[in-house]
Amino acid sequence: MSYLSILLTAILTANFVLSKFLGICPFLGVSKKLNTAMGMSAAVIFVMALSTAVCYPINNYILVPNGLEYLQTIVCILVIAALVQLVEIILKKFMPPLYNALGIYLPLITTNCAVLGVVLLNFTEGYTYLESIVNSVGAGLGFMLAMVIFSGVRSRLESCDVPKFLQGLPIVLIAASIVSLSFMGFTGLVEGILG
Amino acid sequence: MKKIKEYAAPTVVLFVICIVAAFLLAVTNNVTAPKIEEVNAENEAKSRQVVFADAASFGEEFTNGDGIKLVPALDKDGNTIGHVVVTVEKGYGGDISVMTGVDLEGKVTGVNILSMSETAGLGANASKESFLNQFAGKVFGINVTKDAPNENEIKALTGATITSNAVTKAVNAAIEATGGENNG
Amino acid sequence: MAKQTKLAKNSEKKSLRKEFTKGLISENPTMRLVLGTCPTLAVTTSIVNALGMGVSAMIVLVCSNIVISALRKVIPSKVRIPAYIVIIASFVTIVQMIVKAFVPALDKSLGVFLPLIVVNCIILGRAEAFAGKNPVLASAVDGLGMGVGFTFALCCMGAIREVIGAGTIFAGAESLLSIAGITGFDGFTLIGENSLFSPMTIFILAPGGFFTFGILMACANKLAERKGKPKAELGGCSACPMAKNCALLAKGEGCEEKEEAEA
Repeated sequence: MSYLSILLTAILTANFVLSKFLGICPFLGVSKKLNTAMGMSAAVIFVMALSTAVCYPINNYILVPNGLEYLQTIVCILVIAALVQLVEIILKKFMPPLYNALGIYLPLITTNCAVLGVVLLNFTEGYTYLESIVNSVGAGLGFMLAMVIFSGVRSRLESCDVPKFLQGLPIVLIAASIVSLSFMGFTGLVEGILG
Repeated sequence: MKKIKEYAAPTVVLFVICIVAAFLLAVTNNVTAPKIEEVNAENEAKSRQVVFADAASFGEEFTNGDGIKLVPALDKDGNTIGHVVVTVEKGYGGDISVMTGVDLEGKVTGVNILSMSETAGLGANASKESFLNQFAGKVFGINVTKDAPNENEIKALTGATITSNAVTKAVNAAIEATGGENNG
Repeated sequence: MAKQTKLAKNSEKKSLRKEFTKGLISENPTMRLVLGTCPTLAVTTSIVNALGMGVSAMIVLVCSNIVISALRKVIPSKVRIPAYIVIIASFVTIVQMIVKAFVPALDKSLGVFLPLIVVNCIILGRAEAFAGKNPVLASAVDGLGMGVGFTFALCCMGAIREVIGAGTIFAGAESLLSIAGITGFDGFTLIGENSLFSPMTIFILAPGGFFTFGILMACANKLAERKGKPKAELGGCSACPMAKNCALLAKGEGCEEKEEAEA
């Protein structure tokens, strides 16, 4: 499988939020405004790529050769939590502008199931190191795409006359359903383009 | 001094928790691992019987020139009457692992899906008998069609062409692995 | 929480029942607190999957609540989040191995969502909001109530989506029942392949998940409104019990965990 097709599949056809249902909490919670949506997604892309880059060697060179695959979950979640902390401290010290932009989102990502999800899925898919990172970046970009589109939808929703019983979260979920319906149109697209 | 104490206590507690957790997991793993293997082996044996119902028993697994694993199917006198092959193809949601029974004439005796992660309701329907039974009796070069199937064609699943293609590709690869592609 | 401890002293039995029932309806984790949305949407394609997920999460929830509550005086508050995560992750892994060994079909259909129970915010949320501050028995009951509430909500979703989307109910039940030694029951087919209607497959696909959840949420809101309670809201991260922890983590409280992760 070429890198491009992995990337496109992760962004469009197998979108993390809209078809794999990973990272729904931030998708519903932080998508009210475009700029927060962008900030959150940027942080997610960054953390996804970084945790894959770190967890992959740990899994393939430490856990698997020693028959410790059953420690995958526990090791990965701890590595991700520690990594997020570390990145935060480094950013705070050396790149304050970036920290100001992403800082508040970073700790929220520790327990985001999309991050742990992408790391674990990379193991089960049997990707190589590079493929894993490409897939993680793609998953992050897909998350961003869904967030950005959905924040647009939600800003329109604000000014709509919604039936009373659907006001609040229900209409947001139904809107999400329609957005995800439109993403289903990408089915087969990647195979169509790349043969 | 005070600072060291401040850091030492939490570190030690956390460390102890980690050790205990790792120990518990190791124990559970030791208990469940053989059981998991047993379940997998049992499933594979059951699945072999499904795809090659005529076989009385199965022989030793061997690897052909292309690195594909084959299991000979034996009749009750111990003669080889075909092979069971597991092939893997990329589906819509990841790898699909397909087990195919092929007789000595290169005809498919049965197909079973060992594992897949296709979309529920669409691609996942590939494990239904109505789809899989279409393969029985087919020979190498099976094609997928969306209309009424002709000879050596199978009807694609509604809304899951990619999955149908992947399964068919896997079956064709299985026939090829047994050297049955020339008999069609 | 001080109120709850007081209550426990006054009439322990009554308050235990209260801890249990609050998770069912008034504080239902899925419909009222809007927690754990990812598994709610992802694994509810059939009622059997929903039940499997709910029960797995419930076991993890009860066990981790008990252990965390028992250790609440030992765990320093500085490292409590990493400690909670380690405890929860261990139980998740244990459940995962047990499911793999005894209900392999369920393991296949839940896929990555089984290990992902670790990051289900219901579990960490209850650890932080309840088990870390309350005695063992109350925490166990709280976990059980929340777990049952979660399972109940998942089953509602699963039942609706399965009936409309696949035309079956309890399909694949054999994989669950076989542990109890019951075989031969594998669900009912309500809409056969040759009947007049065909099932609306979209309901077991992603859009149907969002839609069903939205409609159920509207119903839950309506019920809550009738009882004079506020609507369920997902006010950004403030509704998530993690928000507070996140803020604490952000202040560098979890520094120690790095050493442990490497160890």
